[in-house]
Amino acid sequence: MEQSAEELNKIEKKDLFTSGHRACGGCGQALAARLVADASGENTIACVATGCLEVFSSPYPDPSWRIPFLHSLFENAAAVASGVEAAYKALNKGPVNIIAQGGDGSTADIGFQCISGMFERGHNVLYVCYDNEAYMNTGVQRSSFTPLGARTSTTPMGNKTRKKNMPLLAADHGIPYVATATVDDFRDLQRKVKTALSIEGPKYIHILAPCPLGWGHHGELSVQICRLAKDTGIFPIYEIIHGKVSNVRKIPVKVPVEEYLKLQGRFKHLFKKGQPTPEVAEIQEIANQNIERFNL
Amino acid sequence: MEKLPLGLVIDLNKVVPYKTGSWRTLMPVNIMQIPPCTHACPAGNDIRGFLRVLAEKEDYEQAWHVLARNNPLPATCGRVCPHPCEAGCNRRDFDSSVAINCSERRVGDYGLEHNLEHKKLVSGRKEKIAVVGSGPAGLSCAFHLAKRGFKVKIFEANGEPGGWMRYGIPPYRLPNYILKQEIDNILRLGIDLECNVKVGVNIPLDQLTREYNAVFLGVGAQKGLGIDVPGKDAENVYTGVDFLKQVNSGKWMEIGKDVVVIGGGNTAMDCARVTKRLGANVSVVYRRTRMEMPAITAEIDEAMEERIMFRYHTNPVKLVTDEGRVVGILSVQMELKEPDASGRARPVPISGSEAFIPADTVIMATGQAVDYDGIDVQTVDNQWMYTNEHLMTSMEGVFAGGDAVAGLETVSLAIGQGTRAASAIEDYIEGHVESSLAQPPVVYSRDLNTYYYNKQKKFNKEAVSIHTRLKNFREIYPSFDLKDIIEESKRCFSCGLCFHCGNCYMYCPDSAVKISPSTGGYEFDLDFCKGCGLCAKECPCHYIQLTLEK
Ligand SMILES: Cc1cc2nc3c(=O)[nH]c(=O)nc-3n(C[C@H](O)[C@H](O)[C@H](O)COP(=O)(O)OP(=O)(O)OC[C@H]3O[C@@H](n4cnc5c(N)ncnc54)[C@H](O)[C@@H]3O)c2cc1C
Ligand SMILES: Cc1ncc(C[n+]2csc(CCOP(=O)(O)OP(=O)(O)O)c2C)c(N)n1
Ligand code: SF4
Ligand SMILES: [Mg+2]
Repeated sequence: MEQSAEELNKIEKKDLFTSGHRACGGCGQALAARLVADASGENTIACVATGCLEVFSSPYPDPSWRIPFLHSLFENAAAVASGVEAAYKALNKGPVNIIAQGGDGSTADIGFQCISGMFERGHNVLYVCYDNEAYMNTGVQRSSFTPLGARTSTTPMGNKTRKKNMPLLAADHGIPYVATATVDDFRDLQRKVKTALSIEGPKYIHILAPCPLGWGHHGELSVQICRLAKDTGIFPIYEIIHGKVSNVRKIPVKVPVEEYLKLQGRFKHLFKKGQPTPEVAEIQEIANQNIERFNL
Repeated sequence: MEKLPLGLVIDLNKVVPYKTGSWRTLMPVNIMQIPPCTHACPAGNDIRGFLRVLAEKEDYEQAWHVLARNNPLPATCGRVCPHPCEAGCNRRDFDSSVAINCSERRVGDYGLEHNLEHKKLVSGRKEKIAVVGSGPAGLSCAFHLAKRGFKVKIFEANGEPGGWMRYGIPPYRLPNYILKQEIDNILRLGIDLECNVKVGVNIPLDQLTREYNAVFLGVGAQKGLGIDVPGKDAENVYTGVDFLKQVNSGKWMEIGKDVVVIGGGNTAMDCARVTKRLGANVSVVYRRTRMEMPAITAEIDEAMEERIMFRYHTNPVKLVTDEGRVVGILSVQMELKEPDASGRARPVPISGSEAFIPADTVIMATGQAVDYDGIDVQTVDNQWMYTNEHLMTSMEGVFAGGDAVAGLETVSLAIGQGTRAASAIEDYIEGHVESSLAQPPVVYSRDLNTYYYNKQKKFNKEAVSIHTRLKNFREIYPSFDLKDIIEESKRCFSCGLCFHCGNCYMYCPDSAVKISPSTGGYEFDLDFCKGCGLCAKECPCHYIQLTLEK
């Protein structure tokens, strides 16, 4: 499905993911899920792992999905999506967009082997990870995407490890398309979903999705926090097309990580009487490494 | 037993969504607010309104109607107004203000080029109103009253209408044909104009109050004031406004080679630049420094470009005369001491610093006063006219506005007062009390989310070369390109009014922002809005605000 640049850049609002879901006010994941659903269009099947998104969007009898939606387990969204794709092939049906979706816990930890298998077997599926950097649905436990320093219910003193780099792990499977995105730039996010769906084979999109409850910010700040994540270098925006890093978003004016951290309750302990603790310098170092590595 | 389907079946068309709106404690609302430009504009121009029409529709005709609805002299104001609107513009904190004044001029000129006409709101009311004076205050008052259907007659002492716009401001800043066309367009609303009638002298004011339902005095400040120094009565000494009035009436003035202009206001700048164009060597003598000069900055800059000499810290003590004619001035140098009541540094003479400046003509541009001849109204400090909060003077049914009330001000302020007086007169005639409804709040930079705007260079008007401009009285800024002004209009932030960026619509995680089928604008679906505030936070222009849930 080749699409013109104009079609790719068009903003889509189709309400295939509708009002009435039970996400917290200002939930980045709810916003991201709608942007993804609207970008992929009616001809789409969503296979969603257990997690906030699944729970808040699919209660009986009033789900928010207006496209076929399949939920089975926390760990197997990618396996289920692989099966759906295989079934379509076997029945000689299609084409159809199949999108497996899961949270960071589902993607980075428990579902990782299913995803890796799906990539390796070459299924024509797009996997979307809604990264809110912890297990939110069960009460903010640490995942392997939880960043250094963040307080979660299982890291009350702040997380001691660095975040796993899933986009690069995905790309190293040799899949044709990998991208990162955030909810503040909806045009970019939707363009990436459409681009991914136009490519045959396994694809991976990693979306930073602020969680007001788990991150400890007011819902109105979800978009601004994404912008700061990008402009500090904490969350680099790029695509990896056939193994080549491309379309890296350049930071217009670089912002110190403090600006990003200070808006969020989960980093509050990193500032003592307004002064940053040494961990802040470490986080800045991570951002600097990103800036250097991706030439942001 | 009934055979049930394998699993649950939901008919998506019959789903009744759960109303998450019940969670809300704060509610988003769309509130149209006053942009700081309009707040700062003394004439109350709908600046955002006309700029948005240009930006969105590229429609000059509609833009003219939006602008001329409040201000019937846009081509004039677009040339002579010191544009406090631009000082208020929120864009100043971002890159530089929008070129509002130039845009106003271009839209005004378009109206004249295409003979666009004002629209009457109501017609055929029987009440008659007399307007005394056809300066901007009188014209604006007459315009707004005529639009509301009143029968209006203007009495003007001069031979032609326009007040100081006609007889004070020189044509290189405001060409006569532009002013004349704008005035004719106002009169076309059915306003009567009688020139060469001085109310209070040729016709008593009482007669007007008897024959008309209300009277508006827009008499300005017609008397030039000089300074009280020996020699001031010599024949080649003029006050600034008297001199300009004669030149602008087409009278040839013998001014000689050296001209000294005393003063630092707009009139002084105009006198200096006019005499320069008449071929004289001109110096401006001022007691303080450039910093304290009351003239509009642009006018001082232009005068300096035109190689007019400025003598600061200089005060005339005496005009030296020979056989009733001035031959020069004796001046003393001043030093500035602690500020006086006006807040400006107080000049004090330095002893022994006297000097002689030769002059063939001396122009004292040092102030104006109201001519109360035959007009017996209460004054404030024996100077300006007293009016109450409805702009009514001490005489029942006689209203006033403009320079005569506000002191030496601007064209736009006179227009604004004329507008207010028209409303007050209508309320007076209909027996209403002027409405005192609270104005919507003003939007300032801190309220905006400027992330969504792009930096862009401001439109800059370009003057003709000094060499050509000093040769004649032609306008020094040639007409602007229509396309350039469209580009400029797109720089307007639209502070306080939706410009359909779609952020709220796209960002709402609950899809609770809908497009109104009737207006096409965005509206909130309060059944589902959780009140998170993302829409308000990401609204660039502060049109969306959160309020407490009722
Ligand atoms: C030289 C000069 C340059 C200026 N430059 C600028 C500028 O660049 N920008 C700006 O904004 N402002 C400028 N001003 C100020 C501006 O012109 C005045 O603030 C404005 O014109 C005041 O308007 P008005 O209607 O109150 O009075 P006026 O313009 O003074 O008009 C009053 C009218 O009433 C008439 N009148 C008076 N008494 C009677 C009577 N008894 N019967 C009948 N008619 C009467 C007068 O003849 C006159 O036509 C300048 C003023 C001068 C003198
Ligand atoms: C095998 C299994 N273990 C644990 C759970 C409980 N559980 C449900 S959702 C969830 C966390 C989901 O975290 P994440 O994938 O990051 O999604 P989020 O809720 O943060 O969006 C957990 C632990 C489960 N459903 N299944
Ligand atoms: S807990 Fe976080 S991810 Fe879950 S609905 Fe609330 S904001 Fe969204
Ligand atoms: Mg998570």
